[in-house]
Amino acid sequence: MRSGYQIMCATVHALLLRELKTRFGEYRLGYLWALLEPLAQLGLLLLIFGVFMHRVMPDISFAVFLVNGIVPYLLFGSITSRALSAVEANRGLFSYRPVRPIDALLARTLLEALIYSAVYLLLMMLLWLLGEPVRFDNLGALAASWLLLIVLSFGLGLVFMVAGHAFKTADKLLPLLMRPLYFVSGVMFSLHVIPSAYRWMLDWNPLLHAFELMRHAVCPSYPLYDISLGYLALWALVLLSLGLALYKGREAAMLST
Amino acid sequence: MIQLKNLTKSYKTPKGRHFVLHDVSLTIPSDVSIGLIGRNGAGKSTLLRIIGGMDRPDNGRVITRQRISWPVGLASGFQGSMTGRENVKFVARLYASKAQLASKIAFVQEFAELGHYFDMPIKTYSSGMRSRLGFGLSMAFDFDYYLVDEVTAVGDAAFKQKSAALIQQKRQASQFIMVSHSLSEIKRFCDAGLLIGRNGVRYFDQVDHAIEAYQEEEHAHTA
Repeated sequence: MRSGYQIMCATVHALLLRELKTRFGEYRLGYLWALLEPLAQLGLLLLIFGVFMHRVMPDISFAVFLVNGIVPYLLFGSITSRALSAVEANRGLFSYRPVRPIDALLARTLLEALIYSAVYLLLMMLLWLLGEPVRFDNLGALAASWLLLIVLSFGLGLVFMVAGHAFKTADKLLPLLMRPLYFVSGVMFSLHVIPSAYRWMLDWNPLLHAFELMRHAVCPSYPLYDISLGYLALWALVLLSLGLALYKGREAAMLST
Repeated sequence: MIQLKNLTKSYKTPKGRHFVLHDVSLTIPSDVSIGLIGRNGAGKSTLLRIIGGMDRPDNGRVITRQRISWPVGLASGFQGSMTGRENVKFVARLYASKAQLASKIAFVQEFAELGHYFDMPIKTYSSGMRSRLGFGLSMAFDFDYYLVDEVTAVGDAAFKQKSAALIQQKRQASQFIMVSHSLSEIKRFCDAGLLIGRNGVRYFDQVDHAIEAYQEEEHAHTA
């Protein structure tokens, strides 16, 4: 007999390979597309903002600044966005008893985390080779912010999955509510340019904390204003607990037709 | 042994709740194959899916320590853009250890007889090919109970014969819980019967008695 933990590992592993195959298996170059797709998307954004809007950032090159906002935001977005319809999208698979909704979300989170980690590393190496001032001596802080962002996204993804299944309108409403988040998370601006009297309007946002921490990690001279890893960790923990609690209460309902 | 305790299942309809199963409690003994008998829409398939854990009741529970299959021949879990082999591999990863993976795939490949189609995307399959793959896939794994929802009706004559032979062989170690519109098929494969009738659910030790009771009930209703 396999233990519950072993079954879950085997299931998540199977789902991950399945998703990888479905999304990229059919194409020429295959799995390379997993990296090329976000890279192309980013390249374009970097070109537009980097060349045409060459803004001056506090002690950080604009390209490094952008990569440390856009990549983690895309990671967050790709984990949470499809969580809303995850139950219906995977309905056919729930006939196989080992597969539960949380496994589908976990597999997806791991896959996106792998893809975007590789994308991030590739881009940072590229910038480093191009002579941008990038420092890799604070990898611990960088990894911690990145991991907490993944946990936070997974927790919110769980909440969304439960909400998307329980309320049909959540499907339409939540993406609308999420859109402004892009503009208040510091993807395009630094907290440095916000007058200190107004920072309270933005610094509640854990995504902003994650991005600023990452920037500071790769560029130690980049200033931080009331940004803390602990605050990010607290959000990640709270969202994960909330997500798991909601999921536990609603799992049976999700598996019911 | 499978114990059903106070199972209730209903669906919302514009005209209020429609109860498919209402407070069903019974015990299915070990070592018998069971046919679920009842008119269309009586809830046979729903009960089958609840026993297998593919669907959840509104109330009540199913208590068992037996390994129960997914509905034999089920195709809803297939991913059209993946090949037959990749789909089989996915399910084998769910149910078998790494060491068994190759032998499970080989079994399905041999049984389904799809030739080079085994390595083509499933969306290119005919429905017959799809169900051959589905049937072979279910049979590749050892369960205590196999759930069957109208499956032997698919495939050509030779494949039907082969399937029936495999089911008989499996019956030496495993049991079947079967839904079929063909009463003769139920008689052939099942020992006991579960009548999902107009006045509740009743268990019969002898499948013949269940069929008789079903026919009497329907006769009385139409008369």
